Amino acid sequence: MSAAAIEAERLSKVYPGGHGIAELTMTVAAGEVFGFLGPNGAGKTTTIRTLLDLIHPTGGSARLLGLDSRRDSLAIRGRVGNLPGDFGFGRDTTGREALALLARIRGARTERAGELAERFRADLDRPLGELSRGNRQKVGLILAAFHRPELLILDEPTGGLDPMMQEEFLTLVGEERGRGATVFLSSHELDEVERICDRVGIVRDGALVAVERVPELLGRARRKVSVRLADHGGLEDLRRIPGVSDLTSADGAVSFRFAGDLDPVVKALAVHRVADLEVARPTLEEVFLGYYQGGEERS
Amino acid sequence: MNDGLLALVGFHLRERRRSPLAWGLPLGAMSAFIVAIYPSVQGALTKVVAQYPEGLKQAFGIGELSNAEQYLHGEMLSLIVPLAVGYLAARAVAADLSGAAESGRLEVLLSAPVTRRSICLGAFLAAAVEIAAVLLLTLLLSLIGSALAGAGLDLGDAVAGFAAVWPLALVGGGLAIVVSGFSLKTSVVTGVVAGFLVAMYVVDLMGKLDESLSGIRYASVFRYYGNAIEDGIEPFGFLGLLALAAVLALIGAVFFERRDLAV
Repeated sequence: MSAAAIEAERLSKVYPGGHGIAELTMTVAAGEVFGFLGPNGAGKTTTIRTLLDLIHPTGGSARLLGLDSRRDSLAIRGRVGNLPGDFGFGRDTTGREALALLARIRGARTERAGELAERFRADLDRPLGELSRGNRQKVGLILAAFHRPELLILDEPTGGLDPMMQEEFLTLVGEERGRGATVFLSSHELDEVERICDRVGIVRDGALVAVERVPELLGRARRKVSVRLADHGGLEDLRRIPGVSDLTSADGAVSFRFAGDLDPVVKALAVHRVADLEVARPTLEEVFLGYYQGGEERS
Repeated sequence: MNDGLLALVGFHLRERRRSPLAWGLPLGAMSAFIVAIYPSVQGALTKVVAQYPEGLKQAFGIGELSNAEQYLHGEMLSLIVPLAVGYLAARAVAADLSGAAESGRLEVLLSAPVTRRSICLGAFLAAAVEIAAVLLLTLLLSLIGSALAGAGLDLGDAVAGFAAVWPLALVGGGLAIVVSGFSLKTSVVTGVVAGFLVAMYVVDLMGKLDESLSGIRYASVFRYYGNAIEDGIEPFGFLGLLALAAVLALIGAVFFERRDLAV
């Protein structure tokens, strides 16, 4: 059996309109929680649909759980759970009806669905059309995970979930990893990615621009640093530190953007009287920007 | 039939459980009304129809109108019921393919171990059962109308008349699968099938109206549908339409397997 849960080799999908994914190569190890990040339209959903053979690649190949994504699609889907980005199953269908159908197709028992419904406070007996987006999403999560799949593919899984349910979701992903399952998720939430993902892939215009471990990803992001210096000095020290940019100063209030290890910044500031210091967490957009600008500089 | 396919058919039928009533009741009520008024309009109709041009009578299947079966065929079974039920078959199939793609269900189903062929076949079989239920209800209400008004509608003839609609409607269902192989928009699927059925009727009509064009009737499914309530079911036509429906469904499934599932 292959050690990789997902292997994509120059996987491409070109639409007549021009968008899609281009020669995407990546490997997700078995048992790993892998975050797939990118702005809307970057190719995240296309990648997921191509891996699951919902859309057919125009080039390259992919293997899931050691099986060819096209030839062995049926066998793969028996071992995978998928939560689509905008989950739906029909307005009049209840979660329980959808569950009964999928359980019969999978030949799986539904006990775990009951446990998950209790944990996520999901209403399986109301028509999905009457549920809010968050409550519909809970049903989608249950349908994706109830049969204990070896590989969970989740497209924007926490969309619409309230903070408590997001927390429960993170716990669930931890449990899935604990039992040896692989989780491949696309997300816009940096907090979520930071807390649960082992590695992250960043996709831009259909191409995978980076695969990083999460601390490295955050390290590359340009954080906004604001500091008030009581002695009105230190500007030149800061300017000399590699990674510092957009430095501005007015009446002792200094602000700048910084990418990299914070240690030299802290050391440079330590020789002054610091009245206030704030390091803002980078947003996901800022993380992307770090990669995208880097890409433009490289190209 | 495997368990997954059975589960799909059962799911589709449960989901569309109101359809036989929604379609069968109005069609049945209309048919019952037509049959029930026949005894009171019989004399007047015979005189009026006698004055119709022969071609017109032939084109619209209007015979001597000497019995309720002929009247029911002319008013309901020659056009309204086949068109309505053929369209319903397309709608039923579209609900399980293009409609399921639009609602997101198809993506969830195809993330489970079920083939696209099973999904197409499940949609087709569920539509076949749904149409049979609609036709049965329409037949029952027609017989009740006849019994109440003493119209004398023959049970065997009426059964033949409504049963003959079934394979014709299934051709609409099979064609809907073919169209779904190219478009996952419900309006496109049902529109193409409705247009096809109307075009088939017009081709048959032209062949009936103009002797020199009679050959084109062989290209129309309505030629093989015939007039079973009066002439009985023609096995060649009945089985031929059923075979055509099955072939269309299979061809459609092949197209459906090859297409991308994005609306």
